[in-house]
Amino acid sequence: MTGLIMKDLLVMRKTMKSYLLIIVLYVVLAYLDVLNYGFIITFIQVMLMVLPITAFAYDEQAKWDRYAVALPLGRSRVVGARYLFVLMLTVITTAMGLVGTAILTLVHEAEPLEMLLTLAVSTTIGLLVPAILLPLCYKLGAERSRPYLYAIIFIPTILVVLLAKIDVIDFSALNALEDLTSAVLLGGLSLLPLGALAALLVSYLISCRITAGKEY
Amino acid sequence: MTNCIEIKRLCKSYGDFTLKNIDLTLPGGSILGLIGENGAGKTTTIKCILNLIRRDAGEITLLGYDNVKEERLAKQDVGMVLDECFFHDTLRPKDVSKILAPAYKHWDNQLFLDYLDKFGLPEKKLIKEFSRGMKMKLSLSAALAHHPKLLILDEATAGLDPVVRDEILDEFLGFIQDEDHAILMSSHITSDLEKVADYIAYIHQGQVVLSDAKDNILDSYGRVGCTAGQLEAIDPRDVLRVRRGSFGCEALVKDRSAFARKYPMLLVERTTLEDIMLFVGKGEVK
Repeated sequence: MTGLIMKDLLVMRKTMKSYLLIIVLYVVLAYLDVLNYGFIITFIQVMLMVLPITAFAYDEQAKWDRYAVALPLGRSRVVGARYLFVLMLTVITTAMGLVGTAILTLVHEAEPLEMLLTLAVSTTIGLLVPAILLPLCYKLGAERSRPYLYAIIFIPTILVVLLAKIDVIDFSALNALEDLTSAVLLGGLSLLPLGALAALLVSYLISCRITAGKEY
Repeated sequence: MTNCIEIKRLCKSYGDFTLKNIDLTLPGGSILGLIGENGAGKTTTIKCILNLIRRDAGEITLLGYDNVKEERLAKQDVGMVLDECFFHDTLRPKDVSKILAPAYKHWDNQLFLDYLDKFGLPEKKLIKEFSRGMKMKLSLSAALAHHPKLLILDEATAGLDPVVRDEILDEFLGFIQDEDHAILMSSHITSDLEKVADYIAYIHQGQVVLSDAKDNILDSYGRVGCTAGQLEAIDPRDVLRVRRGSFGCEALVKDRSAFARKYPMLLVERTTLEDIMLFVGKGEVK
C-alpha cells in the first residue's frame, strides 16, 4: 500500500512542487500583510480538492487501475492507498497551517483564534469534498466526476448567498458566536474535522464496495 | 508437484460473448501458449486468472492457491506483463522499484537494476521517452524482479521487432529452466510459441478447441493440398477442416501418418500453428 501512495507522490511531484512554490509565495505575501492568511488556507484547501481528481486522471491515462488491481494487494488496499494519500495531504496542509498560525502569532502578534477557526473549517472542507468525490471517481471516472467537484464547491456557496439575500439565513445570528468563550468555540470547531474524518471513513467503505463489483 | 495454474470449467458471460467451460493445466517447468483470434477469449481468460473480472463459474488456482479467496497469496509469486505498459509517462524506471517493492515480499532491487542494465534501459529516463520495445522490457523487468515462480503474459511480444522478441523469448527459456517455474503466454505470433511453448491451448469463440503438447500437435497434424475432385474422394471422417479456393483445396488432418498411409496419392505436409488457426477460423467442416 505504501508503494501506491509513493506512486501518487511520484506521479504528482511536479504538480505538487509548483503548488508548494505558490504557497511559499503566498506565505511571504501574508507575512508582508499583502494577503490575508485565511485566503492562503482556502487556496491550499481548493488545491487539495483538485489533487485527488488529478491523480485519478493520471491513472486513467496510464490505465494504471488494471495493473494495480492485478498486484497482490487486493482491491480494498488499492482504494485505501488513495484515501491515505488524500489524508496525508490534508494532515500536511493542516500542519503547515498550524505552523503558519504560530509564526504569525509570535512574529506579528496576531490574534490566533480567527486563524485557527479558518483552519478548522478549511480542513473540514478539505476532508468532506474528497469524501464525496472519491466514490464518484471510482464509479464514474475522473472526467465525468469533474463537474461534480465544481457543483460540490459552488452550489452550497451560491445557495448560502441566495438564502442570505432573501433573508432566510440571518448572519447576525453569527454575532452570538462572539459571546462564546474562545475555549468553547475552539472545542466546538475542532469537532468539525473529526466529523469530516468519519465521513471519509464511510466514503472509503462505499468506494471499496464500488470497486469490489467493478471489472477491469 | 502442484500445477502452477489449474483452471476448471471456467465460465464468463458478457452477453454477446461467452467463455465456456475452459479447462487448462500448466505444470511446472513449462510454457503454455494460448492462441486464438482477436476476441476469442484469451484476454478474458487471463483477466479471470488475475481476478480483474468476476468469473461466473469454475475454479482457478495459482501455485496451489485459489485466485479469489486467497488472492494475495496466489499472486505473491506471480509476475505479469499485460498488453500495455501501465507505468505513468512521468515516471522513471527507478521509480517503478519504489512503487512495487512494498507490494512484493521478495522484491529484489538489485535484480531489477540488473534487468534494466541487461535490457539497456536507462534508469533515469522518463518512461514517455521509451519506445514500445523498451516499455515491454521495463514491464518484464518489473515482472521478474520479485523472483516469481509463474509468469503471465498477455500479448507481451506484440508490436516488437524480431530482435527484441528473440531477446525476450531467450529470457523466458532461461526462466523455465527451474522446474518450479512456468509461463502462460498468449500471443498472436504463433512462430514465437512454436519456438518456446511446451503446450498449446487454442481458444476459439470462447471454447478450448485444441489443447495438447506442442510437439504432439506439430508432429501429428498435417495439411493436405488437393484438387476439388480429390477432396470429394476423401472420407469426411479423415479431415478436420477444409478450405476451398479458386486454385485448389486444402484440408487439415489430425493424424498425418495415418492419412498418408490411407491416401498415398495425396501429399501431406507438416503444418504450423498459424495454419491450424486459419483452418479453424476460416475453414469449414467437410
